[in-house]
Amino acid sequence: MSTEMAIYFDSSACTACKGCQCACKCWNSLPSPLGLNANEFTHSYQSPMDLNGNTRLIMRFEENESPKKWGVEWSFGRRSCMHCSNPGCASVCPSGALSVDEATGFVRVEEDKCIGCRYCETACPFDVPRYYGPDSKVNKCTACLDRQENGRAAQINNGTGVTQTQFNVPACVHTCPPGALDFGPRDEMIAKAYERVEFLKNREIDPSPHASVYGDKLFDGAGTHVIMVLKYPVETYGLPVDPKVSPMVDLLGWMKPLTGLAAAATVAGLGLSFLTGIGYKRDTLHYDEKKH
Amino acid sequence: MTRYIKRHSLQARITHDVTIIACILLAISGLFVFITPLNNLLPSQVTFGIRMAHRVLGVVFIVVPLVSALLAPKGVKHMFSNYLAKWDKDDVTFMKRFLPYMLGPKRVHMPDQHEVKSGQRLADGLLLVAGATIAISGVFLLLGTTVVSFGAGLMLVMHLLHDLAFLMLAVFGLAHIFLGSGIFQPYRRMRRVMFGNGLISESDALYHWGHWAREELEKGDKVVEIKD
Repeated sequence: MSTEMAIYFDSSACTACKGCQCACKCWNSLPSPLGLNANEFTHSYQSPMDLNGNTRLIMRFEENESPKKWGVEWSFGRRSCMHCSNPGCASVCPSGALSVDEATGFVRVEEDKCIGCRYCETACPFDVPRYYGPDSKVNKCTACLDRQENGRAAQINNGTGVTQTQFNVPACVHTCPPGALDFGPRDEMIAKAYERVEFLKNREIDPSPHASVYGDKLFDGAGTHVIMVLKYPVETYGLPVDPKVSPMVDLLGWMKPLTGLAAAATVAGLGLSFLTGIGYKRDTLHYDEKKH
Repeated sequence: MTRYIKRHSLQARITHDVTIIACILLAISGLFVFITPLNNLLPSQVTFGIRMAHRVLGVVFIVVPLVSALLAPKGVKHMFSNYLAKWDKDDVTFMKRFLPYMLGPKRVHMPDQHEVKSGQRLADGLLLVAGATIAISGVFLLLGTTVVSFGAGLMLVMHLLHDLAFLMLAVFGLAHIFLGSGIFQPYRRMRRVMFGNGLISESDALYHWGHWAREELEKGDKVVEIKD
């Protein structure tokens, strides 16, 4: 039986320790530059500045002026694959390297099938897929489907301070000390997110009037399999307010059957023409300049 | 003795032949990217190799006609003047009779034609447009995935144009091969015009391009007589 699953991220609980970023690297054996000053200085705690061929998850740091009389609003965001329910990347992937996992709804990556065409890069409304190696293989979050499928056990803090054993948890969720990340059935994660948003909006000390849930209703309700609690307005986290998969992605999907149909019709028509022409003969023609 | 008319120069034939072979290999290698079951048939390293070969063939497909055009600007002008020539009554009649002729060449008689038939102007003209479109979009796709970032929107447009041009090439290319290689009975011996010595017999020339054949036979400078 399949249950749609989701990764839950609560930006208001995140302390930006980057444990998730490290756990992702460790579990997926993604290398980092190790030389002296090999990492580019970013003038920020955000490092690297964006996803790359070796980095599937980064924590975003955004510093904005506070409407209060003092301090700044410092927001911590998660930038990684959103695991769309109707992923444009999987629609355009010609090799089947990207597909929707039927059991969970996450976007599966099969690197051995990737041919490095980079079609997925153009179809992702979140600009997530990155590539590595000489043959340009796709690199993006897999929601640790390998851990999920093999029943990897983990002790996690579920956000209430209670540590419990949970199975099949992605590496990032497993490592999150403040319990800002959680993992479970999508419906439960959405309910948890709304509960948290209610709390953030109505708490007596430092309420967050702009708090919202992100990911449940995007793409005309289809949503994503990463559900976020955003403490500040959506734009603060560098996320698109209303992301859209380009209509050209659908058109590209039509091109294969259309081309096949057109080619088949042409071959059939020409075959018929060949059959009607069997036995065709004509006299040898001559031109006499003097008589014309 | 049989009289022949010289229809295509050696340079035109080499350009055509190299481009057409590159085009066919491009179509085959492109199908390994386009069709999922095909590219899953082979290890991804092999498919990757085919993709790289697609790029090299793409360079041949673009560079050979461009170099040829630069070497013979008059020939290019002549070709385009033929393709853009005004249609006369025979041209219209030819197009009206084209489908019945293709399905009954024994019964339907086609009118005389100039150097490039009206059907050729239409179908091969679209073939040229499709070829140019697939070449330009291919350059964008190549550069956009290697050295420059054109942005997702433009790259998607280029993907779509590339696929649309492939559809056009598939349809008009198949028809072109059917007629040009002489699979269609009335077009027998036509492949020699481009893949042979570039000569067409007086009889075939009169049948296919009546107006042009008579003009050339009158002028005589392109006419050669070969002993049977």
